[in-house]
Amino acid sequence: MKKKWLALLGAVTALALLAGCGAKKANSELVLYTWEGMFPPEVLEGFTARTGTKIVYSNFDYDETMLEKLSQAKGGDYDVVIADDYIIEQAVNAGLVSEIDKSVVTNYANINPRYQGQFYDPEDKYTVPYGCGIPLIVYDPAAVDFPIKGYNDLWNSALKDSVAITANYRVINGITLLSMGRSMNEEDLGVIAQAGEKLLRLAPNIRLIQDDNTQDALLNGEASVAFLYTSQVTQVMAENPDLKVVYPEEGLGFGIMAAFVPVNAPNKQAANEFLKYLLEPEISKACFEYIGYVNTTGAADGIVDPALVAPESAGSGEFIMNVSAEAEEAYNRNWAAFKAACGQ
Amino acid sequence: MKPRQRRERWWLCVAPLYLFTLLFVLGPVLYMIAVSFAQNTAGTGFRWAFTLENFAKMRDGVYLNCFRESLRLALSTTLLNVLIGYPFGYFMGRLGARGKRLMLFLVMVPFWTSSLIRLYGWLIILQAKGLLNNVLLALGLIREPLKILYTYPAVLTGMVYGLLPFMILAVYTSVEKMDWTLVEAARDLGATPARAFLTITLRLTLPGLMSGVILTFVPSMGLFFIADLLGGNKIVLVGSLIQDQMTRGGNQPFAAALALVLAVMTTLLLALYRRATHMSELEGML
Repeated sequence: MKKKWLALLGAVTALALLAGCGAKKANSELVLYTWEGMFPPEVLEGFTARTGTKIVYSNFDYDETMLEKLSQAKGGDYDVVIADDYIIEQAVNAGLVSEIDKSVVTNYANINPRYQGQFYDPEDKYTVPYGCGIPLIVYDPAAVDFPIKGYNDLWNSALKDSVAITANYRVINGITLLSMGRSMNEEDLGVIAQAGEKLLRLAPNIRLIQDDNTQDALLNGEASVAFLYTSQVTQVMAENPDLKVVYPEEGLGFGIMAAFVPVNAPNKQAANEFLKYLLEPEISKACFEYIGYVNTTGAADGIVDPALVAPESAGSGEFIMNVSAEAEEAYNRNWAAFKAACGQ
Repeated sequence: MKPRQRRERWWLCVAPLYLFTLLFVLGPVLYMIAVSFAQNTAGTGFRWAFTLENFAKMRDGVYLNCFRESLRLALSTTLLNVLIGYPFGYFMGRLGARGKRLMLFLVMVPFWTSSLIRLYGWLIILQAKGLLNNVLLALGLIREPLKILYTYPAVLTGMVYGLLPFMILAVYTSVEKMDWTLVEAARDLGATPARAFLTITLRLTLPGLMSGVILTFVPSMGLFFIADLLGGNKIVLVGSLIQDQMTRGGNQPFAAALALVLAVMTTLLLALYRRATHMSELEGML
């Protein structure tokens, strides 16, 4: 008697397992790996409604974390990754990225050519750009009594203890180099050391160093000047239009986020379909207006918020590129010394 | 059943725990030690080539300063926790049963929320247009908002606040267990209240104080997100240096070397502390 029950139980379990497998195949999954808050929910739901593919949204905080996880997974586990330009170059060099299937992504030409042929993908084989960022200075003219024109103005002693900056060590080293008329990707250790010295003189003006919600410092009265990422600029201007945005005269930093399909992505077909979906003008418009980054889908330029269409000068931006281990180390040291000097 | 057999089975029960510890505690530590002697390469990677460079680099004033700052913050946090937590735990232990229950509940309540969320609470209280400044302005005590957030005192407040419950609970446990008849006997024999406290109460509650010190000192050597959030990233602790090197800085060997030195330093300080306070003699009493 007991044996019969056990047999029945076994059969039921086996059936349930089989059913489970079948169900999984019918509703295929797409694992999307990027920062938090990169998509309006309706865009993701729209894709599922159209294709039946369920989107699993997985987050990382830093590009480096993404690369680490992706290389541990040997280019598997994730179907679409969206990250910054310089880390994509590293991922491509590590053989973790697969070519885009242009027979599926038939609207690849919708991309604005200005954002193509970049250093991380010179032949446009691996990536679909997903927004461009230009970090800018924003200030409160009511609290600052001189016009700010560029990075060098951040050093003005009138701004003591009132500047908020983002926390990317390469970007902050980079704008210091730009303020000295050098490249953001300087390799000369002597020049990097000079930039370090110059950074130390900026320390008394720094109120806080923070990557998330840096723009809040302008709204809650902690800072009167801030150096912000594009999305933060868009957000803070929406909350307080009286603030002033400055395109620094010494030159711009330029960053592109782009989507790619990892080399061993479990669901490549759906991944390419998703990229095609993102390049549709209406979808691009919804995405860029949501994340507040400069629109990279040329086909959407006519319908997207005009503030998100790059001005002519944006072409002159400089990318943060990978540098030698020695230069990287010198930048790191500058950064640690700078942060400590800010706390003094 | 023979006693010997029983002991063998008991060993089988414990084996998975040992295996777990070996695999997931000792394993990563050994890996970290190995990486700390490896060579950094451009980007995020490293090469398995023996070098002492990662340790030599720490002699640089910039990095030594991070150790100094961490130590200073940990020591001041622990000291303040002793000064606030010991009397608190002591008087809590002397309350009646209902009072004890209520106080214990109140001390535990903050743990129901994530510590990160509680820190955001502090941000809202301390910021320029925040609660504290608004109250001070309304009372006419200040004319312009004080810049409290993103300063050292703000960080110290956050650290003491975050770790105080551990000190209180450790002291409370040992006070609660104390045999008060000993104090009565001392008083009967003519000791002043102060002398009775110093020779009996303090000595008997010392183990609780010791574990409180360990429970606050060790985490405060590594807690860096409080300094990052309330200090605006301006106080560079070894913890945040390690995180920077691990993520953006892309120098894992240096991060591993820093972590190793931090661990050794903490262990040595604790050993020194045990020695100075003769803690091992008292250990059995806890």
